[in-house]
Amino acid sequence: MLRLMAKRLLGTASRDIPSRPLQILPRLYHENVIDHYNNPRNVGSFDKNDPNVGTGLVGAPACGDVMKLQIKIDEESGKIVDACFKTFGCGSAIASSSVATEWVKGKSMDEVLTIKNTEIAKHLSLPPVKLHCSMLAEDAIKAAVKDAEAKRAKMNGTLKGADVKSG
Amino acid sequence: MASSSRLPILRRISILLKAPPSTTLRSSLPSLARRFFLRKALAPNVSPWIYASSSRFCSGPLNLHQGSQGPAAIDYRSVLSEDEYHRLANSTIQDLQEKLEEYGDIVELEGFDVDYGNEVLTLKLGTLGTYVMNKQTPNRQIWLSSPISGPSRFDWDHNAQAWVYRRTKANLLKLLESELEQLCSKPVNLS
Repeated sequence: MLRLMAKRLLGTASRDIPSRPLQILPRLYHENVIDHYNNPRNVGSFDKNDPNVGTGLVGAPACGDVMKLQIKIDEESGKIVDACFKTFGCGSAIASSSVATEWVKGKSMDEVLTIKNTEIAKHLSLPPVKLHCSMLAEDAIKAAVKDAEAKRAKMNGTLKGADVKSG
Repeated sequence: MASSSRLPILRRISILLKAPPSTTLRSSLPSLARRFFLRKALAPNVSPWIYASSSRFCSGPLNLHQGSQGPAAIDYRSVLSEDEYHRLANSTIQDLQEKLEEYGDIVELEGFDVDYGNEVLTLKLGTLGTYVMNKQTPNRQIWLSSPISGPSRFDWDHNAQAWVYRRTKANLLKLLESELEQLCSKPVNLS
């Protein structure tokens, strides 16, 4: 009888002790990141020799991330009419560059230079360790714009030269 | 399907990155960078993700001397030798860890925690935010992620004998000192 009681007590006691909850915080990707990972926008490539295409290539494979972001400029308005990217890296890097291509479309080159990595990071709720991906995306935009502007300047310079020669 | 079409894709990746197809694995690869994914523009119903082993792609810093396409490339291997870099970076980070732990005792902040694991220093300030600091060996840099100033990348400045972020000229230790004072309302000396 006593043994049974003791067993019962022990049995209930062990059931009463709450199992210690796991202290591990899961590292979840924000749904925006998962969305861009599963449905990345604007993946692809433009002809980099096209005078209206600016190409930004940033990063290094040894560091884990490489981003190529290309923009297509409308000759007359100077606005970005199309953009595409190819990224080599983690989910956050892919999502950051995908977001970047979405945000640059329809804007002027000056406007897109104001896109900050903090905005991209906020949109994707990037954790501290992944903020560098958003900065790389910002750098990719800047590099693409720089390339596009250099090409336009070169083209204008050539045209001017031609005028002088013919005149 | 993925394995049969892997080789042409890898060749394309190497062309994209202008690296020779056969490359050797660098022992200094950070563990975070071991998995690479490349999105290939395939038909919508085909599984797009191709897992590529890291040994194919690590060929040192990307050479960005492609006209005006990207930021000027520096061959970091010539700037600072790897051993020297590890010595400097490790001593900076370990020193910071000790000083931050002492700071934690003074500040008495809810959720204050300093953790160092896998060569990554994580400083949690409860609800005020989290700092993450890690070494980026291929670039000879220390990377910092701050809840105030976001991401920054510090290079060793031999003249100043300090870690400096080229874009803002910020000094790593001074930046941390001023931000921590701002967040925790108590000054700290990290030099």
